[in-house]
Order: sequence, then C-alpha cells, then structure tokens
Amino acid sequence: MANQWEVFVMDLGELAEGKELELTIRTLNPGIHKYTYQRVKAEVSGTLDKFADRLQVRMGRGQLSDRKFSIRVIEQVQRMPARYL
Amino acid sequence: MGKISAPKSNREFIEACVKSGDAVRIQQEVDWDNEAGAIVRRVCELGEAAPFMENIKDYPGFSYFGAPLSTYRRMAIALGMDPSSTLPQIGAEYLKRTNSEPIAPVIIDKRDAPCKENILLGDDVDLCKLPVPLVHDGDGGRYVGTWHGVITKHPVRGDVNWGMYRQMMWDGRTMSGAVFPFSDLGKTLTDYYLPRGEGCPFATAIGLSPLAAMAACAPSPIPEPELTGMLSGEPVRLVKCETNDLEVPADAEIIIEGMILPDYKVEEGPFGEYTGYRTSPRDFRVTFRVDAITYRNNATMTISNMGVPQDEGQLLRSFSLGLELEKLLKSQGIPVTGVYMHPRSTHHMMIVGVKPTYAGIAMQIAQLAFGSKLGPWFHMVMVVDDQTDIFNWDEVYHAFCTRCNPERGIHVFKNTTGTALYPHATPHDRKYSIGSQVLFDCLWPVDWDKTNDVPTVVSFKNVYTKDIQEKVLNNWADYGFRGRK
Repeated sequence: MANQWEVFVMDLGELAEGKELELTIRTLNPGIHKYTYQRVKAEVSGTLDKFADRLQVRMGRGQLSDRKFSIRVIEQVQRMPARYL
Repeated sequence: MGKISAPKSNREFIEACVKSGDAVRIQQEVDWDNEAGAIVRRVCELGEAAPFMENIKDYPGFSYFGAPLSTYRRMAIALGMDPSSTLPQIGAEYLKRTNSEPIAPVIIDKRDAPCKENILLGDDVDLCKLPVPLVHDGDGGRYVGTWHGVITKHPVRGDVNWGMYRQMMWDGRTMSGAVFPFSDLGKTLTDYYLPRGEGCPFATAIGLSPLAAMAACAPSPIPEPELTGMLSGEPVRLVKCETNDLEVPADAEIIIEGMILPDYKVEEGPFGEYTGYRTSPRDFRVTFRVDAITYRNNATMTISNMGVPQDEGQLLRSFSLGLELEKLLKSQGIPVTGVYMHPRSTHHMMIVGVKPTYAGIAMQIAQLAFGSKLGPWFHMVMVVDDQTDIFNWDEVYHAFCTRCNPERGIHVFKNTTGTALYPHATPHDRKYSIGSQVLFDCLWPVDWDKTNDVPTVVSFKNVYTKDIQEKVLNNWADYGFRGRK
C-alpha cells in the first residue's frame, strides 16, 4: 500500500523535480506513529502517478497547499550524531 | 494562614471540577488526531466546562483533561477557594500565599510515587505510546507539552526551574521545543551547557497538580517547588528520576526524562500560539532526547489549546504577570493601587493603577516593568490613576482615549527584548527576539492646577452628592426601571 507523507516548506520551489532532494518528511499513515518525522533522500514529482507514495505540502505557518506530489523515498538520512542514538 | 484545602493532584482537581460542574466527563471515543484539540479549542472560545475525555482512540487506559485552568472559576477551585470568587479575591489570595514563607518540597521513596507505576526504559521508550495529540490542524507536529513543566537545574547555582516550554514530538525518542534566550532555561543553556558542549538533563512532567502548573507558568523569582508548596500550604512531594538526578512531582501523571542536546537541533513548529496566531516560524530549535518515560496507571494527559482568547495560557499568565509586577512595584515604594492584565490582551497589555503623587511616575513604572524579568512577555503598559477601576475595561478605555496625550503620553521603547511569537514583529525581529514596547501615560500631569486645569469626570458616582446618589438608587425600581441598581 502506498505511503502518505507530508512536508513543510517556505516556498514550493524547494520541491524541485528531477533531482535528488534531502527533505524532512512526516508520515500521514494511520496509527500511533502518524506525524513522526524522518530525514530522507527522495525524488518528488508533480505528476501524481510517477511514484507510488503521495506527498502533501504545508507552508511555513501550516497552510495546506493545493499542490500535490508523488514521492520516492530513496533512503533515510541519519543527521543525529551517533553518540545520541 | 488558615488551612488550605486545595487539590493536591490533577486527579483531585478533575474530581473537584466535575463536582462543581466546571468539567464534563466525555465517555465516547475521541480521536487524538485533531478531534480532542478541536473540543478544547471550542471550550476555550465559549468559556465552557473543561472536557475530561476518558476514551482516546488508539490509547486504551489513557485520558485527556483539556483547558484545565481557562476560567477564573477553575482557578479558584485549584486554589481551594469558592468557585464564584471574584478576580480581586483570587488575586489577593495568591498574593497572601506567595508572600508567605517558602515551603520546601519533600523527597519520597520511589515505591510511594504514583508516577512510577509504569516505567519504560531502553528500547521500550517510544513517545508514540503516549496519546500525544495533534492539537491544531496544520501544527508542525503532535505536542507532548502544552500544559506541563520542563524541569531542569543549573549545575553550579543549583537553581531548579519548572518552566512551560512547548515540546513537539519529532519522533519516538526526540522532541523539539521553543526555549527563548531570555527564559530561565535559555539562560542556563547559554550560560553553562552550550559553551561546554554538555547535554542538559531534563524531565518533563505532564498532568501536574493545578497549583504546580500555576507555579510553572508564573514568572516568580521563587523556585517552583517552593512556590507550589506556598500555594498549596504544604510541601510538594518529589521523587528522583530514573535516568538523571533531577526530582519530579511524584503525583504527576506522566514523566519524560532525557537530555537536551547541546550541538544538534531538529525542526519545531509551527504551532497555534497564545497570541491567537501561528506566528513563530518553523525553525531548528532546542532538541530533547528521551531516555525514559514513567506514568501512572490510567494516566491523564493535560492539554492546553492556545489560540484566540481565552485559554489558560492567557488567563494564568495575565494573572501571575500582573500580580508579580504589583509585588515588584510595591517593593520599590511606588504607590500602586493595583495591576491587571486582561487575558483577552493575550497578556500583552499591563494596566497599572497608581496614586500620581510625583512627576514621571508612569515612566518609572514602565521602566521597571519593561526592565524586569517580566518585561519580554508584554509590550504595552497603560498607567491610570487611582480613581480608575483597573478591572473595569470601560473605565480604563475611557481614561486611555481621553487622558493619554498623543504627543506627551505615548513613549516608545526601542530595541528591547521581544519574542518570536509577537504577531506585530518583523520576521527579522522574531528570529532574534528583538522587541519594542510602549507606555500609555493616562495620568493628569502633576503640574496642572487640580482645580482649574484638570477636567472633572462627569459620571454618576463622581458629580452627584452621596445624598442624591442614594436617593436615586433607592428609588430606582420605583421610577419604573428594572434590573440592578
């Protein structure tokens, strides 16, 4: 089943298509882990059927954007120093 | 001081509120994802009874208590007073208790501490096991801490701080929060931990007794454990944490222990704030790594839903800021007759009543107010004379609109300390906590001749003799008028 994700951006230009991006996204999948974050490398597309997962976008003050994207999560990125894990 | 009979725990408080009709039990299932937040928001906007939600989706055994102190009635109950007590009565009681001798806390054995009934350590630690709500749709995350205390200690001075710093769940073991640089915790971090690159131990206590929450919210110089004791008339019970040396309220519902990271930050916000807006930008903020969670059986999580007036942040902060400023001004010998912040000002406007006995007294008040530890939390001071009822907005507004000279009575203070939450501030000023503040001097100048220069207030209580007033009042119903005299 496809995953649902959400990202906060200040500008939709942050979601450039056709290149690998590093994003902080949160899961919208139902359940107790909903809204938890992870840092990922991903590709996004404004074409909704390009990738299996969906990405919803919110702006800086929480406003939901009309623009919808599909997303492919390539891998998780661990930013936190290992000594804290 | 007589024996105080105030609720000693969140549970006793809920019971008292249900009994007086100031809380309602909700037994149908409520979703932690927006629904609980929406209930609390509407309760705040309507001034309704506090919702005690006993059936939370996905979280059997847990409950929520929303808007715990968003009315003066519930504040009175928290203090063990008659719920119908007036604001001046509640304020007088707060001042009486907080001017008494500090009452030191007691440390109890872990076996006697309800907050240790369940202990999660190591791989079992997961914040998602707690019913952390999404308070407002569009918030940056689920907020663990909205009505709570973040407990820290300065390692050299030994100062204990219980502060209400909002905390967002980033993942199952990480939270991020807004800690302003001028706050007690902000100063401890910048003074000690950050320069050394050391982690700062913390504990978050949720579901505090209402008076402990009141202490955590109050900008008092008295350490919160002692202040809680003074407010409740007996020592607060503390117990040592599982993973650090901090001590936490033993009767709290949930304790989250861990370390504030000195050199790593994750994103926090946006969040619906006490000003009634989402103002502060999403940003990389203070990050809390969680090492342990302990909680009571059938734990109740407290939720405050900040937004347009009025919620407990506005109500309690206005209350305690006003009274703490009153104490400060009186300690300086200023003849204040009272200090009041209307909660609907979202604790931004301080109204000070004073006997205008010398020139420059309004400026002195503003300088003390803005220059004190309280100052960054409000940006307007309005000074009125002792004939104006500071609790009566009609009188205050009339004084402001008629006595505040646009050229001589408005004084702007530039480049002061502000917060990231001020809606009127520029994005740059929000980011760097740069503020500006203003004094509205509504006093008649002392060099005006009181007989010939100062206008006479034309009101029923001011221009008629007592005899005439009494005659009219006594005959009011006979004239054919209904309602109050």
